[in-house]
Amino acid sequence: MEERNSTEKTPCNNALAQRRSKSYRQSMRSCVEATHLAYTSGLLTALRIPRSRKAPKSRDITKQVDPDQVALLVKKEWQLSYVTPFYQFRHTQLKSYSKQLSAFIVSEKQQGLAIEVGQELGFKVNFSVVLGLAETDKDAETVFIQILSKQAFAAKDDAQKVVWSGWLTCVNGDLDYLRSLPLEFVSLPLFCTRGPESLTVLVKSWFEKTFDCCFGPLGINSTNLQWLASLWTGCHPTINIQYLKLVWTLPTLPPMDVTYTVHPQDAWELWDSMRQVDTTEDSISIDEVTGFIKGLQSHFFRHFRIDLSAGSLMQISTALGSSHHSGKIKIASPNYIPTILQLLTECALLKMPI
Amino acid sequence: MVATANLSRSDLDSSSGSDLSVSSRTSNRSLRVVEKERRKNEAGDPFLLALKYFSEVEAGTPCVGNDVLERNLVQVERVGLSRGLPPEAISVMLDYAMSLRMGGVMCVRVLKFLIPATVVPQEAVVRAVAWLCVSKMAISTQVLFLKWVLTVFDMIDSKDHIRAIYGFIFHFVTEENLVFRPFRVRKLLDLQTKMGRQPFLLLVLSLYKVFCPELVTLALPSRMRSGFKNHNSTWKAALSAVQKRNKGQVSSDISLTLGVKHKTDSRKRKYHHLEVPLLSSSVQRNSPSSSSRKVFPLEQLHSFPQLLDNLHRIELPSQMGSLLGSSLALCYLDYVQDDSAFLRLNFWLGHALHEEFLFCSGDGGSGSSSEALHLLNRLLSTQQFLQEGFSSSEGFLYKFLNVWDGSLLRPQILGLLSDIPVVPSSCINQLLFEPLVQLFFTSTLFFKCSVIDCLNNMLSKWLTWHSVYALEDGLDISLHSHTPMNMTLSGFMDSVVELVRFVGRLAAVGLQLEGCHSLLLSFILDFYETVCDMFLKYGLPLVVMPPVGVFYPALFATDPVSVDRLGYIMYRYKKNLTSAKCQQQETKQAFHISRQTYREFNHYLLFMVSCLWNSKMFLPGMAIEVDQELLALSKVPKPWTSFDLIHHPAFLGYAFDFHHKCWPERKKMDLNSIKAGKHWDWYLEFLFSQGFQGLQQFVQSSITRWSAAGTNDQGQGDRLSL
Repeated sequence: MEERNSTEKTPCNNALAQRRSKSYRQSMRSCVEATHLAYTSGLLTALRIPRSRKAPKSRDITKQVDPDQVALLVKKEWQLSYVTPFYQFRHTQLKSYSKQLSAFIVSEKQQGLAIEVGQELGFKVNFSVVLGLAETDKDAETVFIQILSKQAFAAKDDAQKVVWSGWLTCVNGDLDYLRSLPLEFVSLPLFCTRGPESLTVLVKSWFEKTFDCCFGPLGINSTNLQWLASLWTGCHPTINIQYLKLVWTLPTLPPMDVTYTVHPQDAWELWDSMRQVDTTEDSISIDEVTGFIKGLQSHFFRHFRIDLSAGSLMQISTALGSSHHSGKIKIASPNYIPTILQLLTECALLKMPI
Repeated sequence: MVATANLSRSDLDSSSGSDLSVSSRTSNRSLRVVEKERRKNEAGDPFLLALKYFSEVEAGTPCVGNDVLERNLVQVERVGLSRGLPPEAISVMLDYAMSLRMGGVMCVRVLKFLIPATVVPQEAVVRAVAWLCVSKMAISTQVLFLKWVLTVFDMIDSKDHIRAIYGFIFHFVTEENLVFRPFRVRKLLDLQTKMGRQPFLLLVLSLYKVFCPELVTLALPSRMRSGFKNHNSTWKAALSAVQKRNKGQVSSDISLTLGVKHKTDSRKRKYHHLEVPLLSSSVQRNSPSSSSRKVFPLEQLHSFPQLLDNLHRIELPSQMGSLLGSSLALCYLDYVQDDSAFLRLNFWLGHALHEEFLFCSGDGGSGSSSEALHLLNRLLSTQQFLQEGFSSSEGFLYKFLNVWDGSLLRPQILGLLSDIPVVPSSCINQLLFEPLVQLFFTSTLFFKCSVIDCLNNMLSKWLTWHSVYALEDGLDISLHSHTPMNMTLSGFMDSVVELVRFVGRLAAVGLQLEGCHSLLLSFILDFYETVCDMFLKYGLPLVVMPPVGVFYPALFATDPVSVDRLGYIMYRYKKNLTSAKCQQQETKQAFHISRQTYREFNHYLLFMVSCLWNSKMFLPGMAIEVDQELLALSKVPKPWTSFDLIHHPAFLGYAFDFHHKCWPERKKMDLNSIKAGKHWDWYLEFLFSQGFQGLQQFVQSSITRWSAAGTNDQGQGDRLSL
């Protein structure tokens, strides 16, 4: 496994030669190319937010990706962050990163004790590549990180306990943006973590120190939650979504949470009725999505006289997965992983400062 | 003195290499010469006498009850703690103390006030280490000495010989001779496990973290660090007090050192993204070139000469954000022109600004913290240092202007705004003008003034860039010759025209809104002082006249300063236009200033002359035409004279004053008599003597005088031919 991973190369960006990086003195160009680098007032940034998407297609991801690795990603709730491109990250150096990160964690945990890199320690860190998740050749391959702890008194062959896991990914990232980065940079903008916050902080801090990048929290705003609700509902004919649950918070005093659960068949029929407006089968437009949510809201209003559009959508869930406003996501079915990750990659790239 | 030198030389010969003794001998000789001269000049200086005593005192002299010793010691101690000791004094006292000529107690006491005023001579330290090797000293005194060396380490004048004896210093730490670096690190780590977390071990280990980060990782806890500081706190406090007092004469190196390095992070920060990272070496040394070649980490850079010496082997730090605020590091960054380095810095900076002001993830409150203020101030000074703005701060500003309330950190935000590079005219409106217009018209007078000031600064920076780069590339400028994207001269001119016209619109409406407030008018005239000189001062073949909404309020202003400045501006316009015309005729260049501009100028000029000089106003065909019947209704006698230099509200007071001086006996004021004969000249001279130079230049350059048949002196505005 390790052998195979270490031969994997960081994707090469040849197109970069003619468009070199941006220095502080090259602002002229940045304005001209405002469209995709978000150099802009809100107006142009809005252009970057997609107004239509491809309809999700069920696809057996395990044909491309190692099923064991897929199992690590699904059916777990991940906390999301975005991260700016890594400087001099090499997919070939993962072994050495494992050593460095474990030494870093131990030294941070035992403040003031110097640690030799490569020593046997209480923590073991595993970096591995998840091959096959990348969709285009500009997407860098996904990197999965596990932190295992060794029990002090455990027997030698006892399985080590996974205390923290996380992964960095980029699926169908904006091609213009990825092409604009110089060769020394690798963009894996979406960072999903699971485990104690203290370890997440340490891992982020190691990445920041090692690859000169910056992490920030990635929330999922209500437009994107609406997208997810529609995408998942649209899957109902293929995989039973069992329910569609939406949670709104209304700005009353005290704030009121409304949990709204819809029968899957009803939800799908409403969605399908929205879909008939569109002629092309393959893509979904934002108008259909807002129409769908409006339909749900007006139904609710008719029964309870509460206008949900006054509040904000906080959370949605189906049997296919769930997602929370604060940046939590859980993907239950491996079949729709690429669709979801593409959406989240988009969100992360929109957060990039340049 | 001679005895000391001999003693130390023989000691060095026995303990370390002979090359050391040579240099120590020469240094002693020079020291002696200096000493002799001093002695000649100031034989009576008690401080020098005290030093002489310490250099000559014999071993074994009793110290208890020795009044001479005590007097001299106090003398040196006082100088040491107040002004710091000069290098030669450090040398003498260190030698005295470490030789234990009067026992360990005196040694400890001397070490405690050994505060250098400027630098510590390397030879003194080497000799002291030699004494250390004699090994008569108590362990605690040895430790004290090593701590002293660590404290003043940065002030040792050169370190090549010290490096040579690192092994000996190490010997005192480990008592084992170590040869290879990895072994040393491992030894230290072993020692650490044996002895626990000793501060001095940590210090040595953290030095290794600087030079070979791939070997050791270490987190210095903040509590530990402050505890660590206490060991040397007496010296450090005394040292910084001395340095503060001697500021200016102390080597400038200290102020140049990396400012971020010693930043305490004792306070727990909520705003992680605002924290400027600490300088630390990069772990990533994959490239074979860097491992074979000796690199020089930026952390070790303390002076500009050092930067020059090591320019070829400086290594950028692991986090580029740490360069912010360190002028030395920025000098290097400016020199290397490494695109990736700039991109890394921009990613960090953009991220900090976005998180703080746009995403507001810092616990709700955005931008109001002192950390945010600190970051922006640091960014501003960095940009001023580089004389250019970062693209990430530019990109941030375009977004932030749309949500800015106009008051949050106003000086900083406007400061950053004035640093943005030339914006292409195609998007300048959307990126810059639209958000600014909204803020401008909904804000207070002071905000309006600061916006105009900011745009004035922006314009002069753009023009300065132009004048620098245009010289390089002839007329077809490329502002950034190393980038693929060049800006043509016409593109640049378009942007400048857009900016000047925009400010003209803002100014005209702003003056109207604020009732022609003289403060606002003053800022606007500042702006036009830049505009009127674009051709002569910056070599840009462009002249843009102010709009009527600015010209007339300035001309009719009630304060004389504004009218005077308008006079100056018109004078400069005339100079620019005439020399542009000359150049155009001489070189037959393709560029030309439009006839419309000349027409506008002539129009303003004629109006000013006939209004201020010839007392002609409200006549048919003039810019301001008022119906004669309406004028009659106002019952103002001779309304056409009401804005000449005598009756103009700005100058009326001066006219009264002048009248009083001319005819002190007159009871009845007759201002019109100033207009007659010689008095008019005297009045003008009186005005010019009051400091109205602008008016003087305007009158001298633009008015041809001719005496009419009547009493009144008439002037004619010198029109420029079209």
